[in-house]
Amino acid sequence: MSEQPLLFTQRPPGAISLLKNGIFGENPVFRLALSLCPAVAVTTTVANGIMLGVAVLLVQVLSSVTVALTRRWIHPRVRIPVYTIIIAVWVSAIDMVLAGFFPLLYAQVGLYVKLIVAFAIIISRLEVFASRMPLIPTFWDGLGMGLGFLFALMAIGTFREVLGNGTLLGFRIVPEKPLLFFALPAGGFFSIALLMAFFNVLERRMSGGKNVAPSTGGSHGQAA
Amino acid sequence: MTGPDVKTGGPAVPGKAPSAGGEVVRIAASMTAVCAVGALILGGVYLATERYAEAARKSSEREAVTQMLGLDAHASVLEVSQYLSPDGESVVYRTASEGALPGRELVFSLDGALLKKGSAPLAPAPRELRPLGRVFAARRDGVPAGFLVEGEARGYKNRIRFFVALDTAWTVQGVRVVEHEEDPGLGAEVATPWFQGQYAGRTFADVGALDVTKDPIPEDWRGALRDLGRLSPTAWQEAHGAERERERKHPIYAVTGATISSRAITQGVRATILHFRKRWERIAPYLEPDAREASR
Repeated sequence: MSEQPLLFTQRPPGAISLLKNGIFGENPVFRLALSLCPAVAVTTTVANGIMLGVAVLLVQVLSSVTVALTRRWIHPRVRIPVYTIIIAVWVSAIDMVLAGFFPLLYAQVGLYVKLIVAFAIIISRLEVFASRMPLIPTFWDGLGMGLGFLFALMAIGTFREVLGNGTLLGFRIVPEKPLLFFALPAGGFFSIALLMAFFNVLERRMSGGKNVAPSTGGSHGQAA
Repeated sequence: MTGPDVKTGGPAVPGKAPSAGGEVVRIAASMTAVCAVGALILGGVYLATERYAEAARKSSEREAVTQMLGLDAHASVLEVSQYLSPDGESVVYRTASEGALPGRELVFSLDGALLKKGSAPLAPAPRELRPLGRVFAARRDGVPAGFLVEGEARGYKNRIRFFVALDTAWTVQGVRVVEHEEDPGLGAEVATPWFQGQYAGRTFADVGALDVTKDPIPEDWRGALRDLGRLSPTAWQEAHGAERERERKHPIYAVTGATISSRAITQGVRATILHFRKRWERIAPYLEPDAREASR
């Protein structure tokens, strides 16, 4: 995103550019640096990252759409607590539905679903995007951000699982654990930093050597 | 933040101080309405799903019981729950209903004297009783066939809940962690077959002195433990009997980087088994299936 940050353009952008924005331009983890703690906590393996990523994707889309539909009734002075309640309602509902109808899946992801209530990335998208854009772009923004988060968690999970555990998706690819450090929480932050640097370099190469300012996302300074 | 302010968003609109009364009431009313709607939705979802969630919990427990004790269709299982009375002066045991018969209720003083014996109503236990764990006692053809004891340990982050399967000679048949919040990739490994498998086959006497070691687990033994669930018990014994003999008295090998979790479970398993045996020998005479029939 070399032009002006998205949210100040007058006409809402199209689906493709919103999806690209969520995955690359304003990637929640690598660009906006939001929700880093849960990203570190669960990404010791790829499978963990995928499960949390999918759960966040669902909650993000549902909450964004809910806010876009109901914002005219939300009093602006208490919008943040209201967003929190909307997220909490969706998270709890998903938690109960999973526990009731998908017990096997729930045994795997139950631990992660409850974490999502406190995710900065979700509430920041509600404040920055869903509260001021029409329904359709809001849906695509939620989907893009969710996919961006999922992508980031998978990248970090792959990095840490291979280096820290010597496995990928549970299959052993390196004998023994090469660098257990990367499976530990401190190693998680290092992994994110290294990947963040890697994607910065990649983006600079692709944009023809121009300097890419980190974290230009409109949301970062405002919410979270 | 630059750029045009958009309708509702943005921080509190500058230059417009909150007008006293009306505004506050509107805000409060708005929040109350949102909370009420949220509560209604969640209440509805809860009512719609709780039945299924409860059934799922029950069936996964039932599965754990039959699987860990190696039961077949002929076996019957009696569920006994233990509670502490509200005044902390007595221990209450309640059994789930057995077929058409209502469950039983036994009350013991803390030093083990029977205070009261009767039948428990079918309803769930009163809320003021504090749950202390449950036991599933299996019988086959009228003879005790093993026990599954629920235990708890204080893990690295939160409580760890597990099941211990015992045969009638109090030898451990298996341990299974059913609920924990340990770190994925580290403490969470205590829920893997290779770690849990280390407890199987320990006798009551060995469990009393069971300890944890930080030594790395020998690869052949780890491989053998991974096979525990995959091979039938006899095939496993044939393939890995030598390793099992070698490791029978060895301390539990801790998960690398998760000694606290490993130690917590080991101590929990030990305490659970020691307490269970003492309590069971106390209450078993009152739980014989025919004991009540005769007294009727």
